[in-house]
Amino acid sequence: MSSLTTRAPRHTLVAILAACMIGAPVLSQEQRDQSAHAGHVPPSPATESADPPPPEHATHAETKSADQMPAETPSMGDMQMGSMQGGRAPPDARDPHAYAEGYEYTGMAGMETSDQISFGWLSADELEYLSGNEGDGYAWNLQANYGDDRNKLWVRTQGLKVPGELDPTTSGEILWWRPHSAFWGTQLGLRQDFGDGAHTYLAAGIEGVAPYWFIVEATGYVGDDGRLAARVKVSYDVRFTNRLILTPNVEANAYSKSEDERGLGAGLGNIEAGLRLRYEMRRKFAPYAGYVWERSFSGTADRRRAAGDPVNEHRFVAGFRMWF
Amino acid sequence: MKRIVTRFSRRSFVEGSAAAAALGALTWTHARESAASGLQSELMGPVFDLEITALAVNYTGQKGIATAVNGQVPAPVLRVREGDAVTLRVTNRLSEMTSIHWHGLILPAEMDGVPGISFTGIPPGETFIYRFTVRQSGTYWYHAHTLHEQTGLYGALIAEPRAPESTRPERDYAVLLSDWTDEDPLQLYLNLKKMGSYYNFGLPTTEDLFADLSRVGLAGATTRRGMWNRSRMNPTDYSDVSAATYTYLMNGTSPSGNWTGIALAGERVRLRFIGAGTATYFDVRIPGLKLTVVSTDGQEVEPVEVDEFRIGPGETYDVIVQMPDDRPYTIFAQSMDRTGFARGTLAPRTGMQAETPRIDAPVWLMDVDMMGAMASKPGGAGGHAAHGATTEMRKANHARSEYGPGVDMRVDYPRANLDDPGINLRDNGRRVLTYADLRTPGGALDLRDPNREIELHLTGNMERFQWSIDGLKLNEAKPIHFRRDERLRVVLVNDTTMTHPMHLHGMWSELESERGEFQVRKHTVSVQPAQRVSFAVTADAPGRWAFHCHLLYHMAAGMFREVVVA
Repeated sequence: MSSLTTRAPRHTLVAILAACMIGAPVLSQEQRDQSAHAGHVPPSPATESADPPPPEHATHAETKSADQMPAETPSMGDMQMGSMQGGRAPPDARDPHAYAEGYEYTGMAGMETSDQISFGWLSADELEYLSGNEGDGYAWNLQANYGDDRNKLWVRTQGLKVPGELDPTTSGEILWWRPHSAFWGTQLGLRQDFGDGAHTYLAAGIEGVAPYWFIVEATGYVGDDGRLAARVKVSYDVRFTNRLILTPNVEANAYSKSEDERGLGAGLGNIEAGLRLRYEMRRKFAPYAGYVWERSFSGTADRRRAAGDPVNEHRFVAGFRMWF
Repeated sequence: MKRIVTRFSRRSFVEGSAAAAALGALTWTHARESAASGLQSELMGPVFDLEITALAVNYTGQKGIATAVNGQVPAPVLRVREGDAVTLRVTNRLSEMTSIHWHGLILPAEMDGVPGISFTGIPPGETFIYRFTVRQSGTYWYHAHTLHEQTGLYGALIAEPRAPESTRPERDYAVLLSDWTDEDPLQLYLNLKKMGSYYNFGLPTTEDLFADLSRVGLAGATTRRGMWNRSRMNPTDYSDVSAATYTYLMNGTSPSGNWTGIALAGERVRLRFIGAGTATYFDVRIPGLKLTVVSTDGQEVEPVEVDEFRIGPGETYDVIVQMPDDRPYTIFAQSMDRTGFARGTLAPRTGMQAETPRIDAPVWLMDVDMMGAMASKPGGAGGHAAHGATTEMRKANHARSEYGPGVDMRVDYPRANLDDPGINLRDNGRRVLTYADLRTPGGALDLRDPNREIELHLTGNMERFQWSIDGLKLNEAKPIHFRRDERLRVVLVNDTTMTHPMHLHGMWSELESERGEFQVRKHTVSVQPAQRVSFAVTADAPGRWAFHCHLLYHMAAGMFREVVVA
């Protein structure tokens, strides 16, 4: 299965990838802001809200008739977009309860409560067999949550195992999710490393969809001995068809202190970049195959060199993506 | 209660009644075969006994469980007479609570059939007796006000006018358009909650991109995608549920079953179209025939001749056609998202069929569907988009609760024109009905000027499948108070890229033109993406009422308000 990816000439893939993102004229200001935030810090409310209404906006408010409207300008969309999404309510915003005039909702218990429904979701984004320069093994990236639109209990685990080695990112987290804005949620909770040199961390992060449809997960950690860590994941779906979908993804891990038992140095630990091509036989079930490249950096790379392990890892992967 | 079967037209009641005894014992299978041959089972008032049961059905080659009334899906046509006091005894033989709502009828609040608002629903094994006086005539319908609406609990309700009509068409058929899924409706709802685009297999692909690159070049392709990608909105989000799970039905018959209404050359036929889709807008036409629209939502309109019209969940349209010859004509009702269609035939005898048109190619939502009056004029939208900013641009007055996580977009300057047929119907070369074409003769029921204005915004978050009004879901919101007997104006602004059929129970919605003049009386008003629509209401029906989007899953998700008239 992994040959699927190898046979596709790499430059073609790159070209397609680049082409798919052309909605993004190389990274608008907004996008740069998002990426910057995705780095280490949960976004301030202003991130989602984008910019305050641009000055042009005020001009439009005074424009009463269409005749006076400026002629069709391609930038019209850009001008208004800023105020169309997110943001803080202006002080003179309408009170949504004003029409009640003192009446209270009297919905009967047990009726019409489907808008408050709690439900569970279980997802295996990656559940794969791998074969690479570190040998054969398996990897996983599983998530589950339960809750309503306002609160969810969120559990996730990721890891990679090759003979004799458990990847240092192997861990599990239990988080409380709250929606922050239309496309972003915050996650607060605990992370527990698995394997040698494991630490327990407090976790705080964001997850969501950035403009141009980048799926982002960024979490900062404070460990039991005061160490800090950060993990960022970004992925994107390239739809060749509505069922054949290529997902490039990037993950980076950074640490404030070294941990010899885990082979981790201080600083940027690793960057992993993957390309997985899946076929959604059903929305909830897709076999995939892909290729992953990973590089260690700074102290982590030094430790790997010292141990005789490669600093660059690469592996073919094949697995199933599914959710319920 | 008399059981009456009409084989051909209402004039054949007498012959039809001969078959009446047999119908009582009909299984659903028989009923469906009957429908396929133009037979519609009808019940005549003023007293009705309706029994709700679960029924095994097979629309797709796979067994499903439907919700039937008197063993039938769709439920039998109920015929009542204006002025009559009717009694409807509804018995729930299911294992869970259900209810029936009489859609569009003006009746006492406690007879309206909305669980949690009008009453507590009908518990399993119990009978609820609805009693009210029919105060109107025309084409209406009835349906469950629970998820049972998805599983088939819907039927036509026809109110005959007290005074006989001066000219009656020779044939008269109710044409109920609906959507069937083998999935459990709750599962369907949860699929959408977990993935808003679960049933949308028309998301933009690299193929579309390459087509654009060769057609309009890099700059063009970038511009076309920029707004959508930047805002994380989807240009093909016309509706939530597609033919990926739906089989579209005409009078409970799948396209291959070919429901047939009999009509001979020269005869005039009244087709009473009922939008009973739970999540589907249908675009209806009969290739080769002109459609004269004579009524909407049970209320007469000045006749207007069109090729095609869009019907939303909850709406009804009466259409007159004249058969030019003894050939079959296809009644074609494609879903708004262009993934499938319901189809039937008008023909001089059963077993005939005409060519079935191909489904139109869907187009992307246009600037006007997101930017409203701010949309650039030409922008590929052609003539109709030019209407995006015709007269005065009114700024929407957003509620402070629209700035939360449940709202993914707001439209500051909605378009207010009614002469846009809507996405996937613009400039298709056919004469398509718009709300601007609809005029109720005789004017408004209440000539007072509205004494105040209530502005409500239709809001949502597509990714998370959250739907709300002013950013608040039903259980988060306080009710809307209509002061007893006031005349007020309700202004709806659609802050989403989907079209929402908004249904106010208990009182008429008198739709106004862009200039605030009375246009047409309706009970269900479709609001297009980034559109502003207003209607006047006379609050003459004391009690608690429902006001909601008639897309079932939007209603379930919270695009719903309680209205208190006191």
